[in-house]
Amino acid sequence: MALDGFIEKIYRRYMVWKCRPSRVAAHLDKSLPGERKVLLQDGRRKIRVAALQLKLKLLKSPLHFADEMHRQVRKAVDRQARLAVFPEYNSLPLLGMLPGFEKIEEGYRKKAAGSPNNGSKKGSEDENSLVDVFKYMSPAVQPLVDITFSRLAKAYGIYIMAGSYPLAYNGGLFNRSFLYGPGGQLIGSQDKVHLFIDEAKWDLKRGSSFSIYETAIGNLALPVCMDATYFETFRILEHKGAEIALLPIADMQEYNYWLALRGIWPRVQESLLYGVKGALVGTLAGLVFSGRAGIFAPLELTPQQDGVLAEVNTDSDEAITVAELDLDALQELRQNHPWRDTNQALYSRYFPALYRQD
Amino acid sequence: MQVTALTMASLDLSSPEKYRAELTGLLKKSGTGLAVLPAYSALLLGVSTGAIPPAESFQKTFKDYIDRHLTWNDTYLELHEKIAREMGIYLAAGTVIEREKDLLYHTVYCFNPQGEPCLRQRQTHLTPFQLSIGLSRGEELPLFDLPPYKVGIIVDSDALHPETGRILGLQGADIVLHCGALSEGLNCWRQVAGMWSQVQQNQFWAVEAQLSGNLAGERFGAAPAVIGPCEITPGKSGYLQRGYPHTAEVTAELDEAARRELIRKYPLLKLLNWQAYSELYREES
Repeated sequence: MALDGFIEKIYRRYMVWKCRPSRVAAHLDKSLPGERKVLLQDGRRKIRVAALQLKLKLLKSPLHFADEMHRQVRKAVDRQARLAVFPEYNSLPLLGMLPGFEKIEEGYRKKAAGSPNNGSKKGSEDENSLVDVFKYMSPAVQPLVDITFSRLAKAYGIYIMAGSYPLAYNGGLFNRSFLYGPGGQLIGSQDKVHLFIDEAKWDLKRGSSFSIYETAIGNLALPVCMDATYFETFRILEHKGAEIALLPIADMQEYNYWLALRGIWPRVQESLLYGVKGALVGTLAGLVFSGRAGIFAPLELTPQQDGVLAEVNTDSDEAITVAELDLDALQELRQNHPWRDTNQALYSRYFPALYRQD
Repeated sequence: MQVTALTMASLDLSSPEKYRAELTGLLKKSGTGLAVLPAYSALLLGVSTGAIPPAESFQKTFKDYIDRHLTWNDTYLELHEKIAREMGIYLAAGTVIEREKDLLYHTVYCFNPQGEPCLRQRQTHLTPFQLSIGLSRGEELPLFDLPPYKVGIIVDSDALHPETGRILGLQGADIVLHCGALSEGLNCWRQVAGMWSQVQQNQFWAVEAQLSGNLAGERFGAAPAVIGPCEITPGKSGYLQRGYPHTAEVTAELDEAARRELIRKYPLLKLLNWQAYSELYREES
């Protein structure tokens, strides 16, 4: 699908104008409280975090997006969270801004009726169209995301992992997550390093490294969804000093407990970190998104010894869950772990050579 | 192919002969072509038959085995070599402590249907207890051919170190045998964090044997299992078969065509992004 005609160019300029930061900021400021200072407990480093589960619904206006994100942040703040974690592909609701998208969506939905996606997706033509749409919307989405979460973080004095967004940079499309601090500053971002197979087919570009952000609430990392399928991600994060991995997901399949267990849960057992998962659920264009937002830890740091500190109890509706993370306890566990070991001689024998073979 | 994971629960261990008779009976009944015994099996049989006197604790008994009773290994391995030959199966014979030069290793010997050793695998990551009694780490993770499969072995707590599964997976392992032993006090999640997780991120089969029972005062109790990628197992659970700690064995048939089709559609290991791992594994200069 070519989106470079005259009408499309004009409409994009209109979207960028509608999403302009001054407009969104002015709108948000009407409902935001005054600036707050981030509260930290003395003594042990403990941090209360919120994992958000958002239900997909198309939004026609960037102001609706700002309001919706505000509502979610307020839910986290009401539960005394100092860190809120949003899902992957958090800009999908903004597809509703495209004229006629609801009709297109309905067409896809009808086409998909009776053949729900079980991990497999639509044909390549539709997929490529989606990539074009993401690229097309990117100049409008990025400033909207930035002003919305910057304003919300500052107003409530909390940290926000704003979820991830398909955004165009240097001609390529990346799946990028963002972290905002309580001063409203953009602390950092992370490009998805491991692509889902369909993203690879769409020719999304991969990130090439992982970043760690030192903050007043601990060392934070922002891997994206599929990054948690591979142990290497969390090993690197642990080596770099991360304490909490903030993971946005948008799992395109019907919910299954065991399939959902394969991501962040085993990773925090192998490499000793806390993990906070924000999830996108619902349906769009006949695609089913499912998941359960949750907060995970090494078995030894969870009351039931099951690796779960908190998890929402629905895989298809909006929800939130909160838990307290004890960073000192994490450090103690790392220093006195019952089974962890390393074997550099073994690793040197096989890595990186094994990775390089086809 | 039928594969079997064993626990040693409910076997008569009072003499090598009785053990052999019961184990072969069990294996015959299962119709298996590949069987796996759990970790610490040589020590358990040695203590049960009186070849290794039990001391006041598991740790002390283990130490005595190392210091004074390693000759028991010859009897133990010969016994399993015979069982493999008699049954015409591949048999991963649980673990022994072996001495080579001045170093001690926690090792699995796997025998082929001719009774010949087809793979020796040493534990590559050790627990603080194992280090404290002087064990050394193995430094290789080879495979053996069991046509049409390539097979590797993961020993004891190596299951909790994902590097082991990745090394085997990237070498092309189709089946990984696990000789495990987990304390009874642990819940099932420690076990799920091991081989189940390794299977899901490498898409091979695993035959997970777990020790069950009392060994010199230490109670072991985890469940035997045959594990596969979630997508090709009942309920997408990742388990083809899963027993209880008191279950003597579980046996399952591997649908290799289904696994290969899954990998063709969803090639997890092809989507690794090794260029991003340079901080972990640098080239030797």
